[in-house]
Amino acid sequence: MSAVLARPAPSTRGATLRTLAAAEARRYARSPVFLAGVLLLLWATATSLGDLDDAGGDLAVVPAACLGLAGVLVGHSLTRSTSRPGDAVRAAPADGALRTAALALACLVPGAVALAWAVWVALALAAADLPVAIGWGRQAGMLATGVVAAVGGPLVGVLVGRWTRFPGAGLVAAVVLTGWTLACTAGLMMTATRWGTLVHLNAPFATWTSADGPDAPPWLAGGSPWWYVAYQVALCGLAATAAMVHEATGARRTRLWRVLAVLAVVAVGCLALACAADPTRVFL
Amino acid sequence: MTVVPTVALTGVTKRFRGTAALDDVHLTLGPGITGLLGPNGAGKTTLLRITATVLTPGAGEVVLFGTRPAGPEQLAAVRRRLGYLPQEMGHPRGFTGFGFVDYMAVLKEWTDRAARHAEVRRVLELVDLDGVAARRVSALSGGQRRRLGLAQALLGDPDLLLLDEPTTGVDPGQRVTLRQVLSRAGERSTVLLSTHQTEDVAALCDRVVVLDGGRVRFDGAVADLVATAAGRVWLADAPDPAARASWRTGTGRHRVVGQAAPAGAEPAEPTLEDAYLLLLGERARTTGVAA
Repeated sequence: MSAVLARPAPSTRGATLRTLAAAEARRYARSPVFLAGVLLLLWATATSLGDLDDAGGDLAVVPAACLGLAGVLVGHSLTRSTSRPGDAVRAAPADGALRTAALALACLVPGAVALAWAVWVALALAAADLPVAIGWGRQAGMLATGVVAAVGGPLVGVLVGRWTRFPGAGLVAAVVLTGWTLACTAGLMMTATRWGTLVHLNAPFATWTSADGPDAPPWLAGGSPWWYVAYQVALCGLAATAAMVHEATGARRTRLWRVLAVLAVVAVGCLALACAADPTRVFL
Repeated sequence: MTVVPTVALTGVTKRFRGTAALDDVHLTLGPGITGLLGPNGAGKTTLLRITATVLTPGAGEVVLFGTRPAGPEQLAAVRRRLGYLPQEMGHPRGFTGFGFVDYMAVLKEWTDRAARHAEVRRVLELVDLDGVAARRVSALSGGQRRRLGLAQALLGDPDLLLLDEPTTGVDPGQRVTLRQVLSRAGERSTVLLSTHQTEDVAALCDRVVVLDGGRVRFDGAVADLVATAAGRVWLADAPDPAARASWRTGTGRHRVVGQAAPAGAEPAEPTLEDAYLLLLGERARTTGVAA
């Protein structure tokens, strides 16, 4: 029998979180659903870039679907699988809030892929030398919505995995997110007012271009893409914090509830600022 | 100097939907191996879960390593010193045996990669799984998965080892290996071994606690429990319907455990199983104890 090794000195929560997050990130990166999503993202983007126009920002729907929506399933599956050893996991020094935080950090894996995708698309748009009627700032903001959605979807998966025991809950959450997003496109059919923008932008992901008919010229919806990105980031924070609340106890749980309240206020504020921008549509 | 017990339970009670799983349990444990016997539903798993800090008692006090773990920091401090093999243990999908124990080691704060991997290899070797460490957990047999669960409990050579039926599904050869591992662990740690296998308790433990209906029915040396069956076990030529238990053995004679000797019977050496059957009576027979 080999000699007993010295038991490790108690690690800081930060060191344990880093090690655990790296382990969860490796598991995320090896998930077949995630890898299939990446392949689909590459294929869909390469196909779309062959037919570029100045509304390239709406390509953000590709990472939102391939990484974000698929990520709901990945996040849920990873969360449920780490709960499978049950009491053995619960009896470990790394508590539930720390384990959830590690899973939330692992959701940066699809975010990193989406960020690389955004750089790729931005370079392709620049190389195509198209007249960017909406301006580069707005264009970049629209691309960023796809990057944040790629992180947000998996975070929702983690949230649902922590709070439910139903095996199909990840799929249900993906359907609900899709339904919420599609329902909010009704805002694009309303008149160009701030209320219409609010209906359009309260979704966790929004497309920005539309047209009044098959032969009508496309237009860009009103509102601020960057404040909308801030709203999305706040939603991500809400999902991660709400997931951590589940297994937190005592003062830590109280702190997390406070963070949730602050994030909810921030989310509402960002959404209000996104909708406060000029609601006038810009014809492309 | 006062010796602080590893585990001190005082008046611990736990109810599930009005039914008492544990009822006013008092128990103190120090270094060595203590066997925990009892019929199904006796409260063994509840007792282990409470001691492992994954379940809080409804009433009573739990003191581990001299402290009453209440806040997150105290809980973490206690959990750093304990290893727990639950009765039912699933495994995350896609992990190899090594990967699973490595993951558990991270949860146990082994953040240095080289030291962690060395420790994972050590515990896998201890439970004789080093040869199949690269295999997916889903491809391992039930006995191998059970040993994998034991391997994660042994990480860091814990001061308190809580094992809920560790030898379930393990073949006799592997069981001997596990007994060697546990007997070594018992030399320096406090080991609480819940099992239905009375022969494991007889082979490993110097102390046995028998739970029944959530209450402690016996707490003492294994030899003392066995001694309660002295003069109440016989070998007879025919079964005795009036006995507590009676069965035909491989020699063709009938082992009779009861209060009165059947006609023509000769006394037999009692075992822990005989004593257990006598202690619990009908409940032991209806809920079963593995021979």
